[in-house]
Amino acid sequence: MFNYNFKYELKLLLRSRWIQLLSIVLLLLFGFSAYNGKQKVEKRKAAIAAAHDEVNENDVMMLKLLDSVERGMEVSASRWTIPTSPMAVGNYHPRVAAMDPLPLAFIATGQADLFTHYVKPTVSGDDFALNFTEMTSPVQLLFGSFDLAFVIIYLLPLLIIAFSYNVLSSEKESGTLRLLAAQPIGIQNWVLQKLGLRFLWLSVLVIGALVITFLVFGLDIFSQGTAVAKMAALILAYMLFWFAISFLVNLWAGSSAKNAVLLLGLWVLFVLLVPSVLNQLGETLYPMPSRTLMVNEMRGMKAEVTKRQDEILDNFLRDHPEYAINDSTQSRGFYHRYMASKKLIEKELAPVVNAYEEQLQRQQNWVGRFKWISPAIITQESLNQMAGTSTQDYENFRKQVVVFANTWREHFMPFLYNNRDFSQTDYPNLPKFQFEQKPYSSLGVIPLLLIISIGLFGLGFWTSSKERRESIIGSS
Amino acid sequence: MIITNNLTKAYGDQTALDHLELKVNEGEIYCLLGANGAGKTTAINLLLGFISPTSGSAFINQLNVQENPKAIKRFLAYIPENLMLYPSLTAVENLDYFSGIAGKKLNTEQLKKFLEEAGLQSEAFDNRISTFSKGMRQKVGIAIALAKDAKVLLLDEPTSGLDPKASNEFGLLLQKLRKKGVATLMATHDIFRAKEVATHIGIMKDGQLKQQFVADDISLSELEKAYLNTMEYKELAL
Amino acid sequence: MISKTFFKETKELLRDGRVRAALVIVLFLLGVAVWISARQYKNINEQYAAAKTAERAVWDNQGEKNPHSAAHYGTYAFKPKYPLSLVDQGVDKYAGTSIFLEAHKRNEAQFSAAADQTGLARFGDLTPDFILLFIIPLLIVLLGYNSFTKEREMGTLTLLKSQGISTWKWVWGKWSALFFPILLITATLFLVAGLVLSNLEDFGVFNWGTLLVMFLVYMAYYAIFTNLVLFISAKAKKSGIALVISLSVWILACLAIPKAASNIAEDRYPYPTRQEFAANVLKDKKEGLDGHNPWSKEAKLLQEKVLKEHGVDSLHQLPFNFDAYRMQKGEEHEAEVYFKHYNYLKDQFANQNRVYRTLATLSPYLPTRFMSMALAHTDYTTHWDFADAAENYRIASQKFLNDNFAENSEYGNWAYQADASFWKQLPAFEYDPPELRTVLAKNASNLGILGIWLLGSFTLLFFTVKTV
Repeated sequence: MFNYNFKYELKLLLRSRWIQLLSIVLLLLFGFSAYNGKQKVEKRKAAIAAAHDEVNENDVMMLKLLDSVERGMEVSASRWTIPTSPMAVGNYHPRVAAMDPLPLAFIATGQADLFTHYVKPTVSGDDFALNFTEMTSPVQLLFGSFDLAFVIIYLLPLLIIAFSYNVLSSEKESGTLRLLAAQPIGIQNWVLQKLGLRFLWLSVLVIGALVITFLVFGLDIFSQGTAVAKMAALILAYMLFWFAISFLVNLWAGSSAKNAVLLLGLWVLFVLLVPSVLNQLGETLYPMPSRTLMVNEMRGMKAEVTKRQDEILDNFLRDHPEYAINDSTQSRGFYHRYMASKKLIEKELAPVVNAYEEQLQRQQNWVGRFKWISPAIITQESLNQMAGTSTQDYENFRKQVVVFANTWREHFMPFLYNNRDFSQTDYPNLPKFQFEQKPYSSLGVIPLLLIISIGLFGLGFWTSSKERRESIIGSS
Repeated sequence: MIITNNLTKAYGDQTALDHLELKVNEGEIYCLLGANGAGKTTAINLLLGFISPTSGSAFINQLNVQENPKAIKRFLAYIPENLMLYPSLTAVENLDYFSGIAGKKLNTEQLKKFLEEAGLQSEAFDNRISTFSKGMRQKVGIAIALAKDAKVLLLDEPTSGLDPKASNEFGLLLQKLRKKGVATLMATHDIFRAKEVATHIGIMKDGQLKQQFVADDISLSELEKAYLNTMEYKELAL
Repeated sequence: MISKTFFKETKELLRDGRVRAALVIVLFLLGVAVWISARQYKNINEQYAAAKTAERAVWDNQGEKNPHSAAHYGTYAFKPKYPLSLVDQGVDKYAGTSIFLEAHKRNEAQFSAAADQTGLARFGDLTPDFILLFIIPLLIVLLGYNSFTKEREMGTLTLLKSQGISTWKWVWGKWSALFFPILLITATLFLVAGLVLSNLEDFGVFNWGTLLVMFLVYMAYYAIFTNLVLFISAKAKKSGIALVISLSVWILACLAIPKAASNIAEDRYPYPTRQEFAANVLKDKKEGLDGHNPWSKEAKLLQEKVLKEHGVDSLHQLPFNFDAYRMQKGEEHEAEVYFKHYNYLKDQFANQNRVYRTLATLSPYLPTRFMSMALAHTDYTTHWDFADAAENYRIASQKFLNDNFAENSEYGNWAYQADASFWKQLPAFEYDPPELRTVLAKNASNLGILGIWLLGSFTLLFFTVKTV
């Protein structure tokens, strides 16, 4: 039977122009969405490059100034911006802490439109006040981006539904089913083969369109072989899930219209409702503490600390005797007090600030526990991870930046408290930021999707009882 | 060979088929006559295994239909009242597909031979089914039966909606098959056609087989009278 | 004739189990969504009130301090939630909620809720606007896709034709039967929302008139969908085809076009990145007067000018503290720089809006979305309005502080401290969102597009369905 189904399914699909139509639609959708993704990545790359250029230019100026000062020449810059002061270097010549895009960044916008991809932490800036959000019109954030992930998560299932909702019912409605049923074949088997073949052809079209799109947009699919293969496998697994759903509905329901309505309801459930309900529950169970109240707390603490600045500095120096010993001048200025108080504030605010990360972690754990209810969620998450634009990626970036900001600050502390000038020879020792991508074990998602799909297929065989078959075939 | 033993199908209180006892041997054409709702189609659905009986059993070539739903279909061909095929495929392709999934691998020549045998004009072989009339589609249906080398043929109102010429041609085809030793069961309400093609005739009403005749033993007018009597048809006093 | 068709269609709908199930599900979801939103609204406004009072207390109790130190210390402007956000949350979750107001710097609103959420939040929230904008149009599609095709498929069409019906009245009957349940659901939602809001402790100004206008906007939106779905049903040959086409329209209008619009708008009129923006501002700031730097060329020029104006030859002879005066002039220059750069952002936003409006000709979702957000005061324009008000307040408070510094001390006296009671004299920051009339005037084009859609789709339905 399979050979004949294979031969004639292709003929039927070609003659009904399904294959041709799908190829065009897929190419258009993939092309448009990949173009959008690429645009965003280009913008991101350009912004980071510009930031690096700016720092390099400023560094040249800084070194020139240092050179002039060291040679005892008069300089025209404002007193407090002259880079012999370590605080001037730390505040006016920050390094770029950037998160370069991964090669597949264009497939999923993820959180990339919400968060910034580079910051320049300064010595006197507050870590918790570092703004990691990007300057984007909130309307764009609300509507979201027409990226490849959107096409795959939202639109591909609809194409699958349109492509497969009436495999059995159309035979019934056109009258060929009775003749088919009079042949020595099992109907579930026949439906499975038909759907299997449609899955095969759609897979070929999707992979083909994907490869063409990637080539057009200049992704080196050979050097990115594993990543592309993983992505393709993920898409196929997600498609298989929808074919499994379609298989069940084909066996269960009656008329084509009923099938379509039911499948659509399932689409709304899995793609729209489950994610929003899970999200809402996560937020209700683990509510984020109020940011406005955090502002209050921070303000109160700052006001308190400002009043005790001298005392705090004394305590600080007592804890760090190395500074007192190495410095001959023992002069104490604004920054000595400021930095000592700042340390104290950060330490005391840490629990308040960490509460957000912790609560976010709790929400994420909650989502993690239930996300498999909707394959749309796990697929979206995996695509984001492949693109390096998932919530976790930005969280990593934030954490690494905070660590770097601290390194940067600490680098200048010996200069400050020893009242030592910054000089040209110190320049090469300035700390640099390098973002480290955390690898994901996202491969686990594909077997999970496969297990869900196989379970659904099994359910189809198991529940399509004789009575049900009779009601489908028997009633003409 | 078709045999039914006390074959009964009830839907709730309604008995669609009531203890049907029937036997159709090789080389026989058995016509089931009856009004709409008499139980003819139910009988055919039961013989095809599309529905299962409330009690009793049906046999095709000594195989219990209930127990061997797939195996019996190897010997059996079925032409529903309105035979539908894939409109975008040609006659040859439809025949190839249906005999193919039934497990018969045939080359184009063989396929065309069967279509010819079924009486389809050779010009139509490579035309799409969407251009075919009902009579032409039924010829493809017969070709499917021939290709399958069916021992049993089940027909549900095959001549309704056919013009007299096509209907006549169809009768001749059935005779051809009969001579090959095919056992045919045909449900119809066309008394004239039944008398012409059948070897045996049964009259059904309310799910019961009321009367049976050997076709050669009865004239058309006698058959008509018997049919109307069974239907409790009161002759109009003119 | 119209009422006959109406009752027949309504009966048919109510006898369909799927329709009943769909209605129950939608009502249930709406209930949950309203409950969640109401809770959120109450929580956030309580936090808002607490934060506002606490922040003012911090400001008032700074003690003796130099006014410019106080300016650096700064204060916060918090954005409240407006009552109709209960119905439409709009862009609220993506826009910041608090603006830090300090010397020399205009800050962006910080702490958007979305930045504190998991990636899942980007799928959307279970809020009334989600149901109003996405799910109810889908419901219209499901209820109405076979309205005409079923008559053809069941063969009742020929029978109806033989009864000599007027197509026009027949279509009206069908239209009202499809629209009626939607009207009922939406009216219930708005009524409940109105009652909930008028019974909550009034943080914002709740206005039944705005709610009514919002209701009418949604009614227009649903009428457009009803027209389109019925038109497709009348033109399609089979129910299946009608369903697929109606769904494609839904996906295009509600999902694909808004997203594509966002990409096109971003592509053609991009915002600078946050860092770029900051760098540009810094560059312009450097080119003007820096209030803290008396040695710059601009400072010297200002000095000469002021000395000439007052006819004196030393800064000590001026009747005010020139340090503070220079500070204020620097502040004014910086405010101008910010004004320029934020205006550029606004221009980009206006350009992006034009893109959205152009694409609204393809999707009735877009004008409805923008209208609804605007009426709920949860749109981007209101956010801009709030940010501008905060900036104006910041400029005014800087002047207030610098003036005090200038008037009460003499040149060179950085040790001056204002009284502890002085801070209370700074007026509090108040912001009132635009009134209904202003909102409607500003959104005239959206209303116009919605009106064109409404008229156009009615025309399409009633003038082309003659041939059914």
